[in-house]
Amino acid sequence: MSDEEHHFESKADAGASKTFPQQAGTIRKNGYIVIKNRPCKVVEVSTSKTGKHGHAKCHFVGIDIFNGKKLEDIVPSSHNCDAPHVTRTDYQLIDISEDGFVSLLTETGNTKDDLRLPTDENLLSQIKDGFAEGKDLVVTVMSSMGEEQICALKDIGPKN
Amino acid sequence: MIKMQEYSNGGGGDDGGGGGGPADLAKLQSIMHSIEIACSSIQVSNAYVHVYIFMEMHVNPAAAEATILGLCQSPQPYKACQFILENSQVANARFQAAAAIRDAAMREWSFLTADEKKSLIGFCLCFVMQHASSPEGYVQAKISSVAAQLMKRGWLDFTSSDKEAFFSQVHQAVLGIHGVDTQFIGINFLESLVSEFSPSTSSAMGLPREFHEQCRISLELDYLKTFYCWARDAALSVTKQIIESDAAASEVKACTAALRLLHQILNWDFQFDTSGRKISINVFSAGVRTESSSSKRSECIIVQPGPAWCDALISSGHIVWLLNLYSALRQKFSSEGYWLDCPIAVSARKLIVQLCSLTGTVFPSDNGKMQEHHLLQLLSGILEWVDPPDVVAQAIESGKSESYSDFSNFNSEMLDGCRALLSIATVTTPFVFDRLLKSIRPFGTLTLLSNLMCEVVKVLMMNNTEEGTWSWEARDILLDTWTTLLVSLDSTGRNVVLPLEVRNAAASLFALIVESELKVASASAMDDNGEFNYLQASISAMDERLSSYALIARAAIDATVPLLTRLFSERFARLHQGRGMIDPTETLEELYSLLLITGHVLADEGEGEIPVAIVWFLARWSQTYLMPLEEFRDSSTNLCHDTGYQHQSSTSRKALLSFFGEHNQGKPVLDIIVRISMTTLVSYPGEKDLQELTCNQLLHALVRRKNVCVHLVALDSWRELASAFANDKTLILLNSTNQRLLAQTLVLSAYGMRNSESSNQYVRDLTRHATAYLVELSGKNDLKNVAQQPDIILLVSCLLERLRGAANATEPRTQKAIYEMGFSVMNPVLLLLEVYKHESAVVYLLLKFVVDWVDGQISYLEAQETNIVIDFCTRLLQLYSSHNIGKTLMTQSSSLLGEAKTEKYKDLRALFQLLSNLCSKDLVDFSSDSIEAQAINISQVVFFGLHIVTPLMSGDLLKYPKLCHDYFSLLSHLLEVYPETVAQLSTEAFAHVLGTLDFGLHHQDSEIVDMCLRALRALASYHYKETGAGKVGLAAQAAGINNSNGNPEEGVLSRFLRSLLQLLLFEDYSPDMVGTAADALFPLILCEPRLYQRLGSELIERQANPPFKSRLANALQSLTSSNQLSSTLDRVNYQRFRKNLTNFLVEVRGFLRTM
Repeated sequence: MSDEEHHFESKADAGASKTFPQQAGTIRKNGYIVIKNRPCKVVEVSTSKTGKHGHAKCHFVGIDIFNGKKLEDIVPSSHNCDAPHVTRTDYQLIDISEDGFVSLLTETGNTKDDLRLPTDENLLSQIKDGFAEGKDLVVTVMSSMGEEQICALKDIGPKN
Repeated sequence: MIKMQEYSNGGGGDDGGGGGGPADLAKLQSIMHSIEIACSSIQVSNAYVHVYIFMEMHVNPAAAEATILGLCQSPQPYKACQFILENSQVANARFQAAAAIRDAAMREWSFLTADEKKSLIGFCLCFVMQHASSPEGYVQAKISSVAAQLMKRGWLDFTSSDKEAFFSQVHQAVLGIHGVDTQFIGINFLESLVSEFSPSTSSAMGLPREFHEQCRISLELDYLKTFYCWARDAALSVTKQIIESDAAASEVKACTAALRLLHQILNWDFQFDTSGRKISINVFSAGVRTESSSSKRSECIIVQPGPAWCDALISSGHIVWLLNLYSALRQKFSSEGYWLDCPIAVSARKLIVQLCSLTGTVFPSDNGKMQEHHLLQLLSGILEWVDPPDVVAQAIESGKSESYSDFSNFNSEMLDGCRALLSIATVTTPFVFDRLLKSIRPFGTLTLLSNLMCEVVKVLMMNNTEEGTWSWEARDILLDTWTTLLVSLDSTGRNVVLPLEVRNAAASLFALIVESELKVASASAMDDNGEFNYLQASISAMDERLSSYALIARAAIDATVPLLTRLFSERFARLHQGRGMIDPTETLEELYSLLLITGHVLADEGEGEIPVAIVWFLARWSQTYLMPLEEFRDSSTNLCHDTGYQHQSSTSRKALLSFFGEHNQGKPVLDIIVRISMTTLVSYPGEKDLQELTCNQLLHALVRRKNVCVHLVALDSWRELASAFANDKTLILLNSTNQRLLAQTLVLSAYGMRNSESSNQYVRDLTRHATAYLVELSGKNDLKNVAQQPDIILLVSCLLERLRGAANATEPRTQKAIYEMGFSVMNPVLLLLEVYKHESAVVYLLLKFVVDWVDGQISYLEAQETNIVIDFCTRLLQLYSSHNIGKTLMTQSSSLLGEAKTEKYKDLRALFQLLSNLCSKDLVDFSSDSIEAQAINISQVVFFGLHIVTPLMSGDLLKYPKLCHDYFSLLSHLLEVYPETVAQLSTEAFAHVLGTLDFGLHHQDSEIVDMCLRALRALASYHYKETGAGKVGLAAQAAGINNSNGNPEEGVLSRFLRSLLQLLLFEDYSPDMVGTAADALFPLILCEPRLYQRLGSELIERQANPPFKSRLANALQSLTSSNQLSSTLDRVNYQRFRKNLTNFLVEVRGFLRTM
C-alpha cells in the first residue's frame, strides 16, 4: 500500500532523533505528529471507516508548530505515523540587538545569539516592550526537526 | 422625535376614545401620524402585511423602533392608543397601539384605579366585537389577547360581578347573537384567556408564581366548564348551516374555532377532581404532566377533568353529536380530495382522539362500564377511518401521487385512528381493549391492531428508504400502542395466557416485522457510505423500536422463538455453503439484525443497566467483520448462553436458565467472554471503537456484580489479562482512554477476592510496574532530555492514564493499595510536572490523576496521611501556578492560541475540582482519628489553594460555563462554611475573591447568581453576628480602606449593598432569584444601616413625580418595618424580609424602571 511506502520513505530521510514512529491510534489531541514533513500539533483526531467493513482510519488535523499553517492527514489506525521530537528550553533574555537577534543566557552560562526575533509586529512588541520596561524575561525556545523558534515568554518579575 | 410625555393622558382617569378639545385632537392626530410613519418605515412592503414583519425590520429600524418604544414606555398612553386603534388606517399602527396598552397597563397596574382597569378591558372587548369582520385578523387576535392578559392581571382584584359583566358580553357573542363574525371573535377571546391562564402558555407579568397558580385554580373551578359548554353550544348552533348549505365559510370558521377551544380546554392540566380536593399540590411543577410511560415516541396526554365534568362530556350526548358531525362532514365533502386537511376536519378528529383518553373520576364508579361504553362509541366512529386496514392503506398509497400532499399524510384519518387506538390503550387494560370491538365485529381490537400494523409494515417494506412518511409515523404510534398494552402484562410477571386469537395475530405480525427488518438489513449491506459511528447510531435508533418488537414477540413466544431459531440456522447454512464463493455481506448483515432482535426478545433490559446482551452482540458483530469466518460459528452458538447467563432470575425461563447459572455453563461462558475480549484488545491494533466497546461496556458490565467478580478473578483467562496488562508491551498500544478504562475494570474486579489483603495485593501487582517505571524515570539524571522524546511521552501518558483508572476504581477494600500507589508517585508527579511544563497534554493528565486519586482517597485518610496529601497538593498548585503566571504564548496562529486557552481552562477546572475534593474532607470523613486532633485546617488549605489559583483566572476564562460554575460553587461553599477564614485573607486576595463575586452577581446563569447571593448572605450575616458579639468580623475589609492613592475606598459590604439594590431595582433578573436576593440584602442592610438610609433617600429625591415619590417613600418604609421585622438574623426574620421585598418590588419596580 502506498501508506507504507510513504512511511518508509519518511523514515529514511529523517535523522534518527528527529522523529519517532508511533501507532496512529495512540496519537491523541494535543500531541504531535509529522504531516508533510512538518512538525504539527494535533488539534483534532477523528476515526472513520473506509467503507463499512474496512479498517478504522484516523483523520488528523494538525497545526504546524512553527508557521501556524493547518495540515491534514489520514492514516490507518494500526499503522505507524511519525511523531516529531519537540524540545523546549528556557533561556533568560539578556539583550535584543539592533539587527533583529536576541541574546540568551544558557544554563551553562554561555550565550546563545543565533535566534531571530519574531517578525510579527504584535509579538515583537511584546518582547521589546517588556524588555524596555526592565522586566525579567524568560523565553522558551521550541526546536524540532532542525528548526528553532521562540514560542513563549514569561515575566518572572520580582513578584515571584 | 416626540418626547414621551406627549403620549400620555396627563392625569389619566377619563377613558374616552374621541378626545376632548380641538387642541387635544390635534395632538392625538400628530401622535397617530408619527406612529403610522414609524410602522410603515419598518414595514418591508405593504404587500406583505403580516405580523412577522416586526421581526424583520430592514429599513432604518432604529429611529422607528425608538418611536414605537417611546409609546410603550410613556406614562398612561391609553388615550393615544385608543385613538390610534379607532382612527388609524394602518393595521400595524393599530397592532402597536394594542401592544402599548398592554405594556403600559402591566407596568402601571398597581396605581390605576379600578374603573380605569375595567374600562381598558371593556374598551378592548368592545373594540374587537365591533370590528369583528375586520380583515386584519392579527390585529384582532392581538387585541383579544391584550384583553385576556389585562383580565388575568386583575383577576384576583375584580369582584365576581365585575367578571360577570365582561363574560355576559362574551357569552352573547359566543352564542352567535351578534352574528357569526362576532361569534368567532368571542370564541377567539376565550381561547386567548384559557391559554393565558394555563401555566405553560401564560405570559410573564413580573408577578410571583403563586399569582399565576391562584388564577389557574380559580379559572378551573369556576369557569372552565362553563366555557366548554359555551363553545359546544356555539359549535352546535352552526352545525346545521354547515351541513345544509354549501357556502358557509364563516360558519365553518366559527365551528373550527369552537372545536379548537374544546380541544384546548380538555388539554388543561386539571388538578382539582372533586370540588376542592386537589389531586396535585405541587405548585412549582405545575404544567408538567406525569406521563404513564416516559419512553414514548408519540404523545398521549391523559384527560382527567374530574366528576364535575360528567354531565358535559358523557351524559349529554356530546360524543354522539361530535361523531355525527364528523361523519356528516365526511359524507358531504368526501368527493373533495382536500377535505381531510380542512381545519375543521383536523380539529374535529383531534377532539375525538382526545376524548378517547378521557379517564379518571369523570366516570362514575361502576366497574368501568360507562367508560367502556364511552370508548365503544368512539371506537365505532373511528373504525370507518381505519377499517378494513388493507383498503385504507392502499387508498392512501394510491392517492399519494394525486391529491395527497406530504402534509396531508400526517393529517390522515389513518394516523388519527392510530392515535385514537393509542389513547384507548393508555386508559384501558389489554383485556378491556380487546373486548371493545368484539361486540360489533367478529374479532377483538387487538386483532384489528395487528392487522393494521401488518398493513403498515407491508407499506414500509415497499418503500423503506423514505424516512418521515406516513407509514413511519403510523408504525411508531402503533408500536407505542403495543408497548402500552403489553408492558402492563409483561411487568406483572405472571404468566398471563393471552387468547389464541391474539397470540396468532401477534405471531404473524412479528413474522412480518422480522421479514421487513431483514430486508432492510440486507439492503443496507450494499450502501457503503462509511458512517463514522454507524454502530452506535444504528443501535440507539433501533433500540426503542426493538424493545417494542420484543414485547410483541413475547406475546406469542411459542411461535416466535422457533421462528428466530429457524431463521438463524438458515443463514448459518447459507454462510457455510457459500464460503469463499459468495459475498457473505448480506447474510452477515441479516445475522446482525437477527442478533439484535433475538437479544431483545430473550433478555430483559435491567433497571438502568446497559443491556449486556446487546453490547455483547455488538462486540460479536464487530468481530464478524474482522475475523475469519470459521471463528464466527463458535461465537454464535454461545449466543443464547450468554443472554441467559445475564438474566437468570427471570421466572418464565427458569428451567432454561438454571442450566447457564453460576454452577453450570456460566463459568465457561464467562471464560469465553474474557478470552474474546483479550482478542479484541490484542489482535486489533488501532480499532479504537471496538476496544472502547470492549473495555467500557463488555468488561465493565462483568465487574459490576459481585457474584460475577468472584468467578472472574478465579479464571485463568482473567489472570492472564491482568498480567498482560501489568507486564506486556502489547497493551501499551491501547489508546489512552482505553488504558484508563481497562485499569479501572481490572481494579474493580478485586471486589471478587476473598478478603481485603488479597484484594490489596492484587491491586499492587497490577500497578507496581507503572509506579516503578515513573519513579525510575523521574530519578534519571538526563530526565530533561529523555522526557521530551515522543516515545517516552507516550509511555508516561499511558501509565498516568492507568494510574488514574485505578484511582477511579477506589473501593474501601482496595483503598490502602491505591493510597500506596499514589504515595509512591508523589515526588515523580512533581518532577514530571516540572519537566513537562510546556507539554500541556501531559500536564493535564498529571492533574487529572491527582484529582481522581484525592477524590477516591480523601475521606479515608488518617490525619497524618491527610497532612501528606495536603502538603503534596499545595506543592502541586504552587508549581503549576509558578509555571503559568505571567506566561504569554508567542504564536501568530489563532487556532494554537485557542487551543492553549482551552487547555488552560481544562487545567483550571481540574484544579478547582482538586480543591473541592479537599473540601469534602470536612463533610465526609471515615478516618479513625478526627482531623481536629491533628489541627489540620482544611479551609485554610483550600483558601490558600484558591489564592494560588485565582490569579491564573481571567474574565475570559470565566466565560466557560463549566469552569464558571465550578468556581462559583467552590467559592460559595467556602464562604458559607468558613466565613471566618475569608476574614483572614490578605487584602489583595480578598479583593480578588470579592471582585469575582461581583462579576458572578451579574451573570446570565441564574444558578451562578444564586450561588453568589448565598455567598454574600453568608459573608454579611457573619460580619453582622460577629460585630454584634463584640468581635471584629470582617474588620478592615468591611470598614473600607484607603487605596494606594490615599483615597478612601468603600468597604466591601457597602459596595455590595449598593450593587445589589441597583440590581434589584433597575436590572433584569429571574423572579426566582428574589428570595435568595432578599436573604442577602437583609444582613447587608443590617450591617450598613446608614448607607442604606442614604441610598433610600437618594432614591426618593431623584423621583420627580409627587405621587410616585410618596409611594416610594412608603414602600421603602414598609420594606424594613412591616411584618414585625426585627434586627435579628433568624429564620423567621428572613422569611418576613422575603415577603417584604417581594411586595416592595411589585410596588415600585414598575415605575422605577421606566422613569
